[in-house]
Amino acid sequence: MATESETEQGPLSRWVDSSIQNPEKVYRAMFYVATIFFLFTTLFPFYWLLVLALTPNDAIANFGFPPVPNGFNPGAFIEVFQQVPFHLYVFNSFVLGIVTTAVVLVLASLAGYVFGRLDFPGKAPLMLLILAVSYFPPAAFVIPLFRLFTGNVTLFGVAPPELFNTPFAMILPFSALFMPLSIFILSTFYGQIPDGLEDAARIEGTTRLGALFRVIVPLSAPGVATAGVLTFISVYNEFFFSFIMTTGEADQWAPLVWGILSYQGQYSELYNLMAAASIVGVLPVAIIVVVAQEKIVSGLTAGALKE
Amino acid sequence: MSTSTEDDVRDTRRSGPYVAVVRWMENLSDTQFAYLLLTPVLLLLALIAFWPLLSTFRMSLYADSLVGASALGEFVGLQNYVELLTGQRDVVLVRPFLDLNAPFRSALTVTLIFTAVSVFFETIVGFGQALVLDQEFRGRRWVRVAIILPWAVPIVIQGMIFFLLFQPNIGFLVEPLQNWGVFTATPLTNSVDSVIILVVADVWKTSAFMALIILAGLQSVDRSLYDVGRVAGASKFQQFKMITLPLVLPSVLVAMLFRTIGAMRVYGIIETVSGCNTVPSLSCLVVSTFRGSRMYGTSAAIAFITAALIGVVVSVYIVKYADTEEASG
Repeated sequence: MATESETEQGPLSRWVDSSIQNPEKVYRAMFYVATIFFLFTTLFPFYWLLVLALTPNDAIANFGFPPVPNGFNPGAFIEVFQQVPFHLYVFNSFVLGIVTTAVVLVLASLAGYVFGRLDFPGKAPLMLLILAVSYFPPAAFVIPLFRLFTGNVTLFGVAPPELFNTPFAMILPFSALFMPLSIFILSTFYGQIPDGLEDAARIEGTTRLGALFRVIVPLSAPGVATAGVLTFISVYNEFFFSFIMTTGEADQWAPLVWGILSYQGQYSELYNLMAAASIVGVLPVAIIVVVAQEKIVSGLTAGALKE
Repeated sequence: MSTSTEDDVRDTRRSGPYVAVVRWMENLSDTQFAYLLLTPVLLLLALIAFWPLLSTFRMSLYADSLVGASALGEFVGLQNYVELLTGQRDVVLVRPFLDLNAPFRSALTVTLIFTAVSVFFETIVGFGQALVLDQEFRGRRWVRVAIILPWAVPIVIQGMIFFLLFQPNIGFLVEPLQNWGVFTATPLTNSVDSVIILVVADVWKTSAFMALIILAGLQSVDRSLYDVGRVAGASKFQQFKMITLPLVLPSVLVAMLFRTIGAMRVYGIIETVSGCNTVPSLSCLVVSTFRGSRMYGTSAAIAFITAALIGVVVSVYIVKYADTEEASG
């Protein structure tokens, strides 16, 4: 090799020579290769959805590599709403997400204030108790909850209302399971507000709750936004309770999960519509990621590293 | 208690239930106020988390009642657990709970295999992504968006993507992979193939989560340590091995802990990609046992074993984490 590179300097051996002189160049090259590799692997599945959605359904077969659409049929993106009421499923998911986020933000603000700003006996064990909730798998809660929501359980001698197939059967479990993360994010933010600001508000005559919701929460707006974005995405993406707590009709509050699955079940051959529905379903979260990526990054890392 | 503060003096001119409540709240001690604010949270958690957990455990101590009005049979103690773990209960389940002869078709083994393999690859891929995102370059913001994007994809759509990638009629991957002898002709109904696909799907979606946490660890490393390393004559690779790796190990462990918990409860992606009959994870078995055949006792026992297993894993990580903290601090 050495003699070869002396006699005729091919571009490769020239590159190898200069890299031995200068290892930085190799790291740079490795970095570009890795970046392109990661971009390709994360984005390719979305491209595959687009290929399938644009190809007319009877032409879906024998794709080569790289796959390209066999034809051009943007009508699939309209058909997707006609075949099943897909917009209703997405709408249901939005309502579930917004209501859950509101519930979580109010309750987690109260708890975040307590854990972030107050000292009281039993603080650490209580925090641990709340943290423990997020460790348990949904499967460990689901049997009693399912029986409760389908009206098979009496609590303290009272038969609770049948919540199965209503939004509450999903909002309640979502709120409980996604709240711990928000409590941790908010307690960090609320804990950083200087005591003087709260004292000033109280001297001005605000009540304790008034000081929380009129001074501390507005000053922690970035933290509240972070908790809200993460909760909404979690609800929108949730599968387990969304799948089990409804029978799957759009007019009975079945969320996105059932909208997508209805294409897999009833219309098992309509691959182009499956792909189009998936693209439509991803768009809202994709927009949130682009707009709020800083919030997502800080929330996820704070939530995980806090522990 | 006291009427000396300004607002109390002002409030005395007003009356009514609102003022009474406010005044009562103002006069609580810090501890009383803390517990008052926590009441709604604790009530919700009691109803949705603590009561169901205890109830699941209680159910798991009762026999199944397949006929009749009551959901549970007589009290049997730990018999459900014993029969599940020894395999005597397998005949009535959709898929066996523990069968070492068919590890990909029994719940406990397939869940552990899926968890170990996917967390392993997620750690590697996540570390790689974190190293890329740690560099300064133009367009970093958009690369980060692209890497986070899979994390934000709903589970059902993630499942649909991989269903469509490996559906034999349409996917462009199945035929070449079959020719190379990696997959069978119908990978979505073959347990081994499906587990591989599910691992790939899980790595695709959740590596970003790993990457973000490891990235936070990387960025908290004191940059002047690298200057010291360079002066001491360490190569880039040595710097990575001697400085970066030990210092980010705690955050890698935290990320692995969260991903392990997540992988052990895998359900939705299986339901969408290949179905719970092909890959019967623990959560799958819980659902199919109580919804399909009303075996509440058995189902509750499986659910509780799942929770206990996660508990064991969490404690192992916490011990490991404490070790590394001690070593580095």
